[in-house]
Amino acid sequence: METGLLELRSAPADVELLNSIFRAAHSIKGGAGSFGMTNLVRFTHSLENLLDRLRSLEMQATDEVIDILLRSVDVLRELLDADADAAMPSEALELHKRIETLMPGEHGPAEGAHIETQQLMEDDRKINLFKVEFRPDRELFTSGTNPIVLLRNLAALGTVSCCHLHTEELPTLGDLDPALCYLSWTVELASVCAEAELREVFEFVEHLAEIRVHCVDAQPLAEMMPGSALVTTASRNLVAEPAPRRAVAAAPKKSVVKKPAAGGDSGSIRVATDKVDRLIDLVGELVIAHVMTAQMVEDFEPSCLPKLREAVAAMERNTRELHERVMGIRMLPVGTLFQRYTRTVYDIAQATGKKIRLEMNGEETEIDKSMLELLADPLTHLVRNAADHGIEPADLREASDKPEEGVINMRAFHRSGRIVIEISDDGAGIDTERVRSKAIERGLIGADSQLSKEQLQMLIFEPGFSTSETVSDLSGRGVGMDVVKRNVEKLNGTVTLASEEGHGSTVSIELPLTLAILEGLLVRVGDRTLVLPLLSVIETVPLSNEQIVRVAEQGEVVLIREESIPLLRLSRFLGLPQETASTEEASKNGANRRLAVIVESGHKKIGLVVDELLGQQQVVVKSLERNLHRVKGLMGATILGDGCVAPIVDVGGIAAMNLFSLQAPLKKAKKQVPATPSDKVA
Amino acid sequence: MRRVLIVDDSVSMRQMVGYTLRQGGYEVIEAEHGGDALDKLTSVTVDLIITDLNMPVMDGITLIRNVRKQPALKSKPILMLTTEGLATKKEEGKAAGATGWLIKPFDPEKLLQTVAKVLP
Repeated sequence: METGLLELRSAPADVELLNSIFRAAHSIKGGAGSFGMTNLVRFTHSLENLLDRLRSLEMQATDEVIDILLRSVDVLRELLDADADAAMPSEALELHKRIETLMPGEHGPAEGAHIETQQLMEDDRKINLFKVEFRPDRELFTSGTNPIVLLRNLAALGTVSCCHLHTEELPTLGDLDPALCYLSWTVELASVCAEAELREVFEFVEHLAEIRVHCVDAQPLAEMMPGSALVTTASRNLVAEPAPRRAVAAAPKKSVVKKPAAGGDSGSIRVATDKVDRLIDLVGELVIAHVMTAQMVEDFEPSCLPKLREAVAAMERNTRELHERVMGIRMLPVGTLFQRYTRTVYDIAQATGKKIRLEMNGEETEIDKSMLELLADPLTHLVRNAADHGIEPADLREASDKPEEGVINMRAFHRSGRIVIEISDDGAGIDTERVRSKAIERGLIGADSQLSKEQLQMLIFEPGFSTSETVSDLSGRGVGMDVVKRNVEKLNGTVTLASEEGHGSTVSIELPLTLAILEGLLVRVGDRTLVLPLLSVIETVPLSNEQIVRVAEQGEVVLIREESIPLLRLSRFLGLPQETASTEEASKNGANRRLAVIVESGHKKIGLVVDELLGQQQVVVKSLERNLHRVKGLMGATILGDGCVAPIVDVGGIAAMNLFSLQAPLKKAKKQVPATPSDKVA
Repeated sequence: MRRVLIVDDSVSMRQMVGYTLRQGGYEVIEAEHGGDALDKLTSVTVDLIITDLNMPVMDGITLIRNVRKQPALKSKPILMLTTEGLATKKEEGKAAGATGWLIKPFDPEKLLQTVAKVLP
């Protein structure tokens, strides 16, 4: 419904769209009615009236109307969570009034009818004698009506003293058309019901029959039935049949359980059946492969070895596919998340008086469900920021030759095995000078520190940083960007920002496909095996002494194809048994046996010095934190095929650290220059 | 057991009506729209059809007209689900041959009462 309403803004006279919105509102009302949520029913009812006028084009879907409708959606949510018997919240009442004022001459018909029936119930408690004439049209049967049912229902309302069947109009058999109704009835019954209630039995045939109900006082029955003869025994029997359906009908009402307050936040996923079927197939194949292997192991002889290898390879293929498919189950299109920001942007645009359009690309890109949930908050911050700070007010935009309407673009796509989500705006961009002065003011950087434009821009991700002059309720409190960064990092992702003053900013979030399993490069450092995430590995180069340059007694860089890349000796960094001077000497002599694995995170490259490459393998990531503290530079550990525990190196984390300060733990404490540029050293 | 066909594009509505009717002792089958309902009616016999009016593919009025055209279904009771705001729709439905109608929103009891009003 909400999506529909937002679309309505651009096409206010789209009847098809209005119809679908109407249907949505309608289903809500129907659902609410059946669960006895009277507030919700009353509210949706007026909403529905409004929508009905819109779609019959009696009214125009002006911005005001759409605004009311959108607010109504919020109120509906609130009402849904509220107690069914609670009073209508004030906001709902207010909105209700606004809707009513939009539609002159509209009264709540539901309420009126309610009072009416109640009065009737109270008035007629005495027993009346009724004479009911029922003369159906010939065409009665065309509506699928069974007159016997009507008579039985009438009989259920009281005690039938007489039922007269009129057969006068019945033609001879030759002229009789079985599809037509030639009969009519006169029924007399004593009942406590009001005349209206008796008439209600014939509610559906009023247009197909002549119905007369007379209320007669206790008069001699004989007088009222001229020539009465044919009293159908069937209808007499019916009288004795009290309606048991009331008891049944009450049952569903009792079993109504209140909805849990937290909306769709259940821990379940909907999975397409074919996905599950494929999984079952795979498990089947795996079982077969296992049986085959077990058999071979059982009667093993050396000649079997190639066959055994083949069987193991088949098992590996299966396992791999199984893994992919199981991960696939958790994947959801990112569009479901993007969708909700249409509203966020709309609200901000309304509140600030700007014109903003939200564009989306790659909504079908799939992403792990748990990640999707964790992304919701960071993305909200980013979208709000873009809309509130990024996009300029219309007059400013015009002054700088931009179209009046600002555009925020949300994009999701795959890039080298990772998922990238970009939020860009064509707004003012980031004023780096203001960032600098603010950062100095907040003491985040020294007054004289030299920072590149990129580094200055990244400062907005520092805790407590906001350059907004006024704190609006939308953004600018200085919380947010650092939360964004923290949340994304929790997901093993990275945030980067590219902004050009006057032309807008783009925030990119890069995330791994999944959290649980990664493709790892196994390396040996000292006597330990470590795992490097393969995705961040760019290349591996042998190290020779000529390539290593010591920089200002602080650290080392390696020169590769004219590019200097900071080096990190993993053994020292992780506090593994220190190489003694002699081994260091030895390693210097035999330096060509040493390797540097060049890894990249964000736009930063680092060379990690390792002793040996052991191979490539999929590893299951296990968190350390349940058992240990968070270890800097490690993102977790895995269990290798031989049962050993191997730590997994957190490349992103290392890249974010200040390498030179880390690398010189033995040197005398130097005056730290915060945020020393570490990626480029000339 | 008497069998009821529910035709509505809203899953929740079908669930709600279906649940109520099952509680009331009816067997329930469901269809998403008029076309779907006509398909189902070729293979299953039902005692009552309950149909929404506003549906994609084939709306309720067209469904009613189509049902009434078929000799075997000519006198099948049909209840339509309508809205207060839509008096014209109700008239249209009546003209098309609906047996009765149920005004949304309704509570489960009202549903069962109305079904009993038209089902033998």
